[in-house]
Amino acid sequence: MDSKLIKEQEIKRNINNAFRSAEVTVVRRRRISVRFRAGILPAFISYLKEYMGFVHLVMISCVDWLEDNQFELVYHLWSYEEHIHAMIKIRLDRDNAQIKSLSSLWPHAETYEREIHEMFGVDFEGHPGLTDLILEDWSDLPPMRRDFDTRAFVAETFEWRKGREDAQDVRQTISARYGETIPEFKKDK
Amino acid sequence: MNDDLDRQNNNIIANWARKHSLWVLAYGTGCGAIEVPPTMTSRYDAERFGITGMATPRQADVLLITGYLAIKTLKRVIRTYEQMQAPKYVIGFGSCTINGGMYWDSYNTIKRLDDYIPVDIFINGCMPRPEGVIDGFIKLQERIARGQAKGWQHYQENLDWYRANQKKVIKNWTMPDYNW
Amino acid sequence: MSPMNIIWMIAMPFIGAAIGLLYIGISRNITARVQNRFGPPPYQNIIDIIKLYSKKTAITHGVMFHLGPVLAITGTISTLMFVPILTGNYPIYLFSFQGDLILLMYIMVFGCLAMALGAGQSGNPNSAIGVSRGLTQMFGYEVPFVIALIILMVRFDTSSVLDIIKAQDTVAHWNIFRSPFSFIAAIAAFLGMMGNKPFDIVFAPAEISSGPPSEYGGKYLALMQTNRGLFAFVKLVLYTDLFLGGAGDFITLILKTFALFLIPLFIGIVNPRFRTEQAMTFFWKWPTAIGVVGLVLVLL
Repeated sequence: MDSKLIKEQEIKRNINNAFRSAEVTVVRRRRISVRFRAGILPAFISYLKEYMGFVHLVMISCVDWLEDNQFELVYHLWSYEEHIHAMIKIRLDRDNAQIKSLSSLWPHAETYEREIHEMFGVDFEGHPGLTDLILEDWSDLPPMRRDFDTRAFVAETFEWRKGREDAQDVRQTISARYGETIPEFKKDK
Repeated sequence: MNDDLDRQNNNIIANWARKHSLWVLAYGTGCGAIEVPPTMTSRYDAERFGITGMATPRQADVLLITGYLAIKTLKRVIRTYEQMQAPKYVIGFGSCTINGGMYWDSYNTIKRLDDYIPVDIFINGCMPRPEGVIDGFIKLQERIARGQAKGWQHYQENLDWYRANQKKVIKNWTMPDYNW
Repeated sequence: MSPMNIIWMIAMPFIGAAIGLLYIGISRNITARVQNRFGPPPYQNIIDIIKLYSKKTAITHGVMFHLGPVLAITGTISTLMFVPILTGNYPIYLFSFQGDLILLMYIMVFGCLAMALGAGQSGNPNSAIGVSRGLTQMFGYEVPFVIALIILMVRFDTSSVLDIIKAQDTVAHWNIFRSPFSFIAAIAAFLGMMGNKPFDIVFAPAEISSGPPSEYGGKYLALMQTNRGLFAFVKLVLYTDLFLGGAGDFITLILKTFALFLIPLFIGIVNPRFRTEQAMTFFWKWPTAIGVVGLVLVLL
């Protein structure tokens, strides 16, 4: 098993030589995962980009760990030389979510950061323009946060059409038209 | 004013011409826009009923709302609808426009299209097939011929109600007021 | 001017528009059949225009915006007045005079310019792009068109359309056979004038959302569509007069104009759209070269 993961183990050694606090895990072939602290993230990522060959930022995603009161940002990097996918995971405090922007390393990181800012409310320092990307005039809680109650928001903002819950009106219309009997179904609740 | 509108609506020759020449605005919203090309091209050929695509709202008669509408899109749809010239019809397409469909608990899509713009015909289905679309168009033609497709008139008369609904979901209202 | 002529003067724009719109309707039907569809009825365009006239129209962008379509159709009708329509026992000449060919060359541009002014004032960027494309394309096809007309003028030593018709008394004397170079150059210009598929860069619905008329709707659009039908008819009649020996009666006129109409139609069905510079290259390369060869042969 280990003999097949030579490349990955070597990268793990190299990363640990440079940054002792990085917790590198070899997930499987061609995939490593790194836990790191948020403070010196740009330095770490630029080290990966310049010296380890991870030149491609695939995407940035965000996970809301409501129970730990933390956001987890995941930076997906890809190395064309080694064919290895690295996931850099960092945890941010949920109440004061702030991190340095990566837009100086990759210009296209701007878009992902704008989206994460809009959907989760993470603040990116040094970003050229953290304006609205998809939502317009959103004043509520950022909608992808887990403490944002979608159904309450929908019930407050929109009006549902009557009869949507069990479609009884449609069934009655159809049964009246074609003379069918409506079967009695058990209610779920 | 209203007598004039009624007279226009009940003009037999004009209604016959309107019925046989429905120009659809080529503005695809949501996922149902993919059903429109097969409806227009050689397999189902809606052009034999006089249904043609038009590129700008000024020239079009029918606004097809093909699926879910995000609030951001609703803004553009209202603006487009108000730019169209007066005998104008709206077809709500798919269950998303009727009751929200599969986006019934989404924070960002509207649930009932007829709260915001007047809808003349709903075509249900998710998505309706081109046969269903053509059937909807024929039902619309029948309503036009009978002078019942009066959604635009309803919108003019109840503009305050529609505006209130629109402003409820569109927070920052920066649209120009059109005179039509 | 005889009373018969006055009646024709009033009736001819309507007849011309009806024939032109019917041709465009038939072209839609033929296009549909080529694409394996059933297609709309041939009178579909006339229904469209009745509908457009019955629409309410509440758009304004300034004075020129209102005047644009009106001036366009004025230009087209005045062009019609100077084209000899029938030359048989019951001729319809209206205002033909010595030297009307030179007048026609100028007055045919008038409608396009009026539409450009009107569309330009609408302030829509698509209109502006369409107008600039249209004027560019006009520079393109005017060159072979003018060369073709000059060939005819030099050959018959006249600038009157009536004299040119009189010179083509038999089928063998038709200009399509006697000066084929002129005909080829003129028919290439005709493709550009009709705005059918390879040269529909002006209207291009998929690119610039129908170009100049993109801000026009309702009655203005109806006026523009009427103008389109009438202008097609005027151009077809002019080409029939110049190259197919004119027409003695209405049946001959319809047969000849329809035969001419089929040329751009069938070229249009099977071709995609040119880009602007490709269209210009086409117009200034082959038709112009052929026209110049014809001109040299005539002058020798």
